Amino acid sequence: MIYLNWLVFCYRSSATANKIDRFDRNGSSCFGYKVLLLGLRRAAAYGLISANLSPSTGTGICRPIGLCGPKNKQASGGVRMTRRFAVRSLLFSAAIGLTANPALAADPGLTDSEITIGMFAPMSGQLTAFGLDALQAAKMWYEEANRKGGIHGRKIKVVIEDDKCNPNEAVAVVKKLVTVDKVFIVHGGSCTAAAIAAQEFVTREKVPHVMLNASGDGAVIPPTRYVFGAFAGTQRTVGATLAQFAVKELKAKRIAVIAHDDEYGVANTATLKAVATASGAQIVATEMISPRITDVTAPLLNVRAANPDVIVSTAYPGPAVLIAQKYGEFGMTKTPLAQAIQGIPVPAAFAKNVGNDAVFENFYYGSPLNDLTDGPKQQKWIAQYKQYYPDRTPSAFMTYGLPSAMAVTRALEKAGRDLTRENFIDALETVDFDTGVIAAPVAFGKDRRDGSRGSIFVKFDGKTHTLMPGVYLWDGKAGM
Amino acid sequence: MSPVLLQGIVGGIVSGCVYALIALSLVIVYKSSDVINFAAGEMVMVGGYLGMFALLWLQLPYLLIFPFGALVIFIVGAAFDRVVLTRVVGRAVPGQSVLVAMIIGTVGLSYVLKGVVRVIPYTEEVRRLPPFSSGAPIFLGPVVLQHQDVAIVAAALAIMAALWAFFNFTFTGKALRATSQNPRAAALIGIPVRRMSMTAWGLAAALAGVSGILLAPKLLVTPDMGVIVILALAAAIIGGFVSLPGCVAGGILLGVVQNLIGVYVASRAISLAPFLVIMIVLLLRPQGLFAGKAVAKKV
Repeated sequence: MIYLNWLVFCYRSSATANKIDRFDRNGSSCFGYKVLLLGLRRAAAYGLISANLSPSTGTGICRPIGLCGPKNKQASGGVRMTRRFAVRSLLFSAAIGLTANPALAADPGLTDSEITIGMFAPMSGQLTAFGLDALQAAKMWYEEANRKGGIHGRKIKVVIEDDKCNPNEAVAVVKKLVTVDKVFIVHGGSCTAAAIAAQEFVTREKVPHVMLNASGDGAVIPPTRYVFGAFAGTQRTVGATLAQFAVKELKAKRIAVIAHDDEYGVANTATLKAVATASGAQIVATEMISPRITDVTAPLLNVRAANPDVIVSTAYPGPAVLIAQKYGEFGMTKTPLAQAIQGIPVPAAFAKNVGNDAVFENFYYGSPLNDLTDGPKQQKWIAQYKQYYPDRTPSAFMTYGLPSAMAVTRALEKAGRDLTRENFIDALETVDFDTGVIAAPVAFGKDRRDGSRGSIFVKFDGKTHTLMPGVYLWDGKAGM
Repeated sequence: MSPVLLQGIVGGIVSGCVYALIALSLVIVYKSSDVINFAAGEMVMVGGYLGMFALLWLQLPYLLIFPFGALVIFIVGAAFDRVVLTRVVGRAVPGQSVLVAMIIGTVGLSYVLKGVVRVIPYTEEVRRLPPFSSGAPIFLGPVVLQHQDVAIVAAALAIMAALWAFFNFTFTGKALRATSQNPRAAALIGIPVRRMSMTAWGLAAALAGVSGILLAPKLLVTPDMGVIVILALAAAIIGGFVSLPGCVAGGILLGVVQNLIGVYVASRAISLAPFLVIMIVLLLRPQGLFAGKAVAKKV
């Protein structure tokens, strides 16, 4: 019933706004008329007036002509109201609009004492590890903000939903958060496909959506006004930083690339090739494989035949294990293998699944964090998390949830007490800060919706992790 | 012959042997019930998990996880026939094809198996069975082979030989063949047709489960690993869907073609290989490579 009411409300408000726009296009430059129009627009925006339309004629609350202008004979055929009644309606509506209570004008999810944020992540199912701890870490950040007195006197309240990393479920929970729970912003998404699925809805409803820890390439590049994400970097960042690392640290001149033949693979391969070529290296093999591949003999034969001095893989966990196994079987372990983070979410499990120590002779992986997952810079957050959730051992993805929550609270602070969804977005566009969690600063802009563009690299011998020097950054241009 | 080509062929034979085993499972069901078992992939997946459970939790010796997995999944397959398919056939309405309902039953079973596995917390992490045979790689000239690959081929060939012996030299095997050729005649000579159907389903499920255990050291065991059934379907179609030797050859051919396409065309074309081979076979020899001549009977 609530949902039905909401649908009716939306339809009536948008219909009213459309009619007012049409009224404006046909109107004159009369000042009084402009004032009335302003009032009307505000009233319509707050849902205080609606279009009493005649379905047969399709005309609006009054005839679509300028009150101070000449009569539009063509359009006046279906007018059902008298001019006097129309003027009275306009004056009344404008008066309501101009004097409307500011409390009524506030965006949903906002009161004098509270900001409601709708959060979602996979809280059950196979991909729980990606989202549960990250979401709890973000919630912890909000609770810390509340403990310090809130933001401009408002406490943050969160409503949490489980999307299971399923695009259909993600759309359903975002709709529920926006229409039923009436949240101010949506903060969630640990898997790209699920996070992207909500883009159309939040854009239509003009609700800011800040992704939790999904890279969300398709939703942040090209940028759209209401969606912010990639706090751990996009696939373009992954490709570009892998190429930089291969050239600068591993002194690569001949690079072989193994990537998936999907949107992710195409994106990271484009920047990888662009950055490598610009740095003077040559791409000697590009093997685009299916994410469901069951035998990587042929791609690895091609890579071996190309005789590269560095192999770069952006494969997912299953194929990444197959690649590493075959790389070991074919005796290619003298050639460094650099694997993107998405293929090695839990390095110890990866090493166990590969089951061949020789593979890790020259093995590296990228990470968006500023340190090893249990390194000194991460310990602060791990300790804090354990205080909040003493019964839970955090997964490797726990700290990934913090940067997005930090960006949200920063934007809320910048937006000030007179908060609206639109000025929240304007504020979020100006954030640029070091999180103390990830390798690169989080920054957005008018034309930028991917938050972070950096990676570090780690040498992994199957048991111990050694941090490689330097932070590698994508300039946001190469490969675009 | 170039080393790359040789390696591609040898690698294809290893993969093809596993496809062939799953294809055998499909063909056994098809010959006994006239339906395609769309749950075969999930039976492979369950087999992989059963092997892992037996090895890591029950601490069974490696050789015993095969009969353990085969027995458990045999019971699942036989129970599915007994509990679901028997009722579906029993409630058939004259004039309506019961096969569609049976096929939908197999699709339902695939969802049930995947759903059950997903709710087990243990399956949240992707895992792999340790190789059941390890050691330094074997070099056959320029070709590199792992002990694991040799063991997979040996196990697959042993299972195929055992199946051949079972169908040709045992009473139950002959009864199964008789039932698949003419159930009514088989019933008239005293063969328990329902029990034979149940045995066929159990046997096919066990075969799929054992394939899963063989695959588990090579592929990661996940609830989605059943997608490999697409390749087995292609192998079965190449073999004509009724010929057991045909689907073995089809599986190996498919494995080799996949690798050759990957090497000589492009890696991204590998996933097209099964469909390409199916289309060529259907175009040139629709009855399959190993089925007899297609004959239209006048009735």
